[in-house]
Amino acid sequence: MKTRRDFIKAGFALGASFSLSDLSGLYAADAATAPAPGGSRSILVAVRDGDRVAMLDKALAELGGIGAFVKPGQTVLIKPNIGWDVPPERGANTHPDLVARLITLCREAGAKSVSVFDNTCDEWTLSYANSGIEKAAREAGATVVNGKDESLYRQTDVPNGVKLKSAKVHSLALDSDVFINVPVLKHHSGSLMTSAMKNLMGIVWDRRAYHRADLHQCIADLLTRVKPTLNIVDAYHPMVRNGPRGKSVEDVIVLKTLLASRDIVAVDAAAAKLLGHQPTDVRHVQLAAAHGLGTLDLDQVDIRRLRLA
Amino acid sequence: MGARLRWIRRTVAAAFLVGLAFAFVDFRHLAPERLGHALASVQFVPSALSLLTGASFSIACLVVLAATLAVGRVYCGAICPLGLLQDVIRRVSRLLNQAPPFLKYAPARSWIRHGFLWATALAIVAGWGGLALAVLDPYSNFGRLFSALVRPVVTLANNALVHAFPSLASHGWYRVDVVWASLGVISVALTVLVVIGVMSALRGRLYCNTVCPVGTLLGMLSRRAAYRLSINSRRCKRCAECLKVCRAQCIDLRTRQIDASRCVACFDCLSVCKEAALAYEYSWKKPQPEVDTAPAVPEPSTNFSAGRRAFVSNSLTSILSALGGLTLLARGGGGEGAEPARPQRHRGNHGEGHGGEHSGKRHREHHDAGPICPPGSGSREAFLSRCTACQLCISACPTRVLQPAFLEYGIAGLMKPRFDLAVAFCNFDCTRCGDVCPTGAIDALALPEKQVTRVGVAHFDRRLCIVDQNGTDCAACSEHCPTKAVHTVPFRENLRLPEVDESLCIGCGACEFACPVQPTKAITVSPKLVHERASKAREEKASTPVPTNDFPF
Repeated sequence: MKTRRDFIKAGFALGASFSLSDLSGLYAADAATAPAPGGSRSILVAVRDGDRVAMLDKALAELGGIGAFVKPGQTVLIKPNIGWDVPPERGANTHPDLVARLITLCREAGAKSVSVFDNTCDEWTLSYANSGIEKAAREAGATVVNGKDESLYRQTDVPNGVKLKSAKVHSLALDSDVFINVPVLKHHSGSLMTSAMKNLMGIVWDRRAYHRADLHQCIADLLTRVKPTLNIVDAYHPMVRNGPRGKSVEDVIVLKTLLASRDIVAVDAAAAKLLGHQPTDVRHVQLAAAHGLGTLDLDQVDIRRLRLA
Repeated sequence: MGARLRWIRRTVAAAFLVGLAFAFVDFRHLAPERLGHALASVQFVPSALSLLTGASFSIACLVVLAATLAVGRVYCGAICPLGLLQDVIRRVSRLLNQAPPFLKYAPARSWIRHGFLWATALAIVAGWGGLALAVLDPYSNFGRLFSALVRPVVTLANNALVHAFPSLASHGWYRVDVVWASLGVISVALTVLVVIGVMSALRGRLYCNTVCPVGTLLGMLSRRAAYRLSINSRRCKRCAECLKVCRAQCIDLRTRQIDASRCVACFDCLSVCKEAALAYEYSWKKPQPEVDTAPAVPEPSTNFSAGRRAFVSNSLTSILSALGGLTLLARGGGGEGAEPARPQRHRGNHGEGHGGEHSGKRHREHHDAGPICPPGSGSREAFLSRCTACQLCISACPTRVLQPAFLEYGIAGLMKPRFDLAVAFCNFDCTRCGDVCPTGAIDALALPEKQVTRVGVAHFDRRLCIVDQNGTDCAACSEHCPTKAVHTVPFRENLRLPEVDESLCIGCGACEFACPVQPTKAITVSPKLVHERASKAREEKASTPVPTNDFPF
C-alpha cells in the first residue's frame, strides 16, 4: 500500500516534469496561477460581510472586472454545484443569486453564450429546480444544459494523471472559451471538504470510477487536463457537518464570505481554513499543489482581504 | 339524439384515453400527479379495491355500478382506457384494410365470460386477488402496455429528435435515458399487446366481452339497465348499417335483438340508423302490447329469464367480492400482527427466519430477501394483495428507482413496482408514488412521514469497502445518505470509514446505488417485509469551527 509520502513524492515528480511553458500554451490566461519562482504571485480575493451579489461584484472589481476574464464573443461555462435536491437555504448547492449575477455579468461583457450544468447526485431535474438555479439561470439568460446526457461527454486523455489516465468529460468544459467554477463550500464525509476542486467532479461522467481509483488523486489529476479560468467559492453559509448533502438548515453557519482566484489550489487552501482545517489536511488540495497546479502556502499568495461592512 | 350521445361519449373517451396515455408515457413528468391520479381513481377495479380495503372512501366504483344499471356499460364505452385502446386498434386496422369491414353478430360466449369472472371472484376469496386483479384489470393492462412498451419508444423518438435538431435544446428539450423493463416484463406486456391487438383488430370488443371480468360484471347489470338500445321490428329494414359500426357484435338482425350485456354503449348504431329503427329508451316499464305509436319492444321471455339469472348471479358475485374485500382488509390492516404467512423467497440456503436473530455465516443470509416495495405500502403482504400493477407509480417516479418486478416478489408480484437500486435510489423529498396510486396499495404519505418510513435497511460490509481495501477515501455512500444513517468515522491515518446507524436508516438505497465497488457492493439495502418507523434525531445548530468574525488566513 502506498503511503501519503509516496503520493506526495509522485506528485512532485510529476509537477516537476510538467513545465511552465506547457502550461502557458494550454492556459494562456493562467500565467499568474503557477507558482513560478520569481514570477508574479497568485492573487486571492476574500470578501466578507456583504450579500452574495455585492461580494461578487467587489471581488471581480479587485481582479480587474469581469472583462479581464470574458471577452466579447466568447463562450462561457459556469459550473455551480447543483448536486442535491434541496432548497438554497440548506447550503448544499451554490446559491442561485450568485449564479444569476455571474451570468448577467458575463452577458454584459459580451459573452456569445453562457451555459450552466452539473452532473448531479440527486435526480437532476429535481436538483436543478429545487436549488433555484435553473430558474435563476434561465432568467439571467443562460442556457441550462442537462448534465445527465452522456452523449454530451467526451472521452479525454489525462496524460499527466497519476491515477486518472482518461475520463469522460463534459464537452462544454473542454470546449468553452471561459470556464468559471462556482462551488459552494461544504463539509464532506469522504473528502473532508468540498470546494473548488471537488466541484469539478460534476464535469465528469463516471463519478464511481473516481471513488474506486483513489478519490483525492483523481480530483487532482483531472486539473492537469481541465482547469477553470476563475474560481469563485460561495462561503456565505457553509455547511459544516453532515456534508455534502446535509440534513437540515442547522448544518450551516453564517460566514458571509466569498473567495475568488484564478489559482484553484490557493482558493481551496483558504476555503479549508474557513472550515477550520489546515490546507494540507485536505489531501486533494495537497496533491494538486504537488502537481504544480497552484499555491498551497497562503503566505506565498497575494491575499486581498476586503470587508463590505 | 344518437349523434349527440355519440359526441358526448367520444369527448369523454378522448379525455380518458389521451389523459391516461399521457400520464403513463410522461417521461418528462410534465403533467401534474393529480391528472393521472384523478383519471385512474375513477377506474372500476382501483376504486373498488380502494373502497373495499378501506384505503379511501372511493365511491367511483359504486357510481360505475349505478350508472351501468341506469344507462348501460358507459364505463366500457367511454372511461376504460383498455376498451378505448381496442377501439383505436380496430379503427386503425380498418384504415389499413387489415380488418373485416364489419363484424357479424356472434352469440355470447357465456361460459368463458362467466368463467373468468368467477375465477376472479374465487381468487379474491382464496387470497389470490392481488394476482388475479393485476392480470385481469383492464385499466392496469392498459397502464402496463403504455408504461413498459409505449413510453420507451416515445422516449427514443424524443432522443432522436433532440439529436437531429440540437436547436431544440434552447426550447427546453433534452435527452432522457431510456430505462427498459426487464425482459420478462417486456415479454408479458408484449404478449398482452398481441392478444388484445389481434382480438380487437379482428373482432372489436371481443376481449371486453369474453375475458374481461369487469366487462362481464357490468354486463350483468347492463342486461337489465333502465335505458337500453332496442330495435323497432317494423321500422328495421335489416340494412345492416348498424352492424358496420357495432364494435361488440351484439346486434342480432335475424331476431332484431340487441344483447345489452355486451353492448358497450357507444351509441354509434343509433346515429347511423337511417330508418330510426333504433331507440335508446327507458325500458323498466311493464311489458305492454305493441301499439303503432309506441316503438318500445317488449322483452322476450328468454331475455327476461336470462336477466333474472344474471341478477341472482350478480348478487352472489357482489357478496363474494365483498368477502374478498374483507379478506384484503384484514390482511392489509393487520400491521405488526399480520406477519407474512406466505413463504418468502430467501437467498442462500438458510432457514425460515427473517428477523435478526439468525446468525448466518454469510453477510446477507440473515436479512430479508427479495425486492423493496415502495414507501407507503405498509408491508409486502398488504402491498401485493392491493396493487394491480398498473405502473402509474413507475411512470411517475422521478428517479426511476421503481421498476416492474418480474418474478422477484414471486408470481403474485408480477409487474408490481419494486426498488431497482441498480437504476437509481428513492428520492428523499418525494412522495409521488403514493400520490398517484389509485388503489391505495401505496398510501399517500405526507412528506415528513415518508421521510421516517423504513422500507429497508442498509448493511455495510467493511471487507468489501474501498476505504479498508485500498486505503483511500471514498464515502460515496454517506455522501448520498439523506438521513446520515450512513456516516463516516475516523479510520487509520487520516481516512474516513463508513458506518451505519440502523435507527436512522429508511432504506432509500442511495448508499447502495452510489457505492462504487464491483461486482458486489460494499453497502447493500435489504427489504423490510413490514415497514417500520425510523427515528429522527433533532439536531442542534451547528457550531462554528473557527471564529467567524475575521479571515482565518
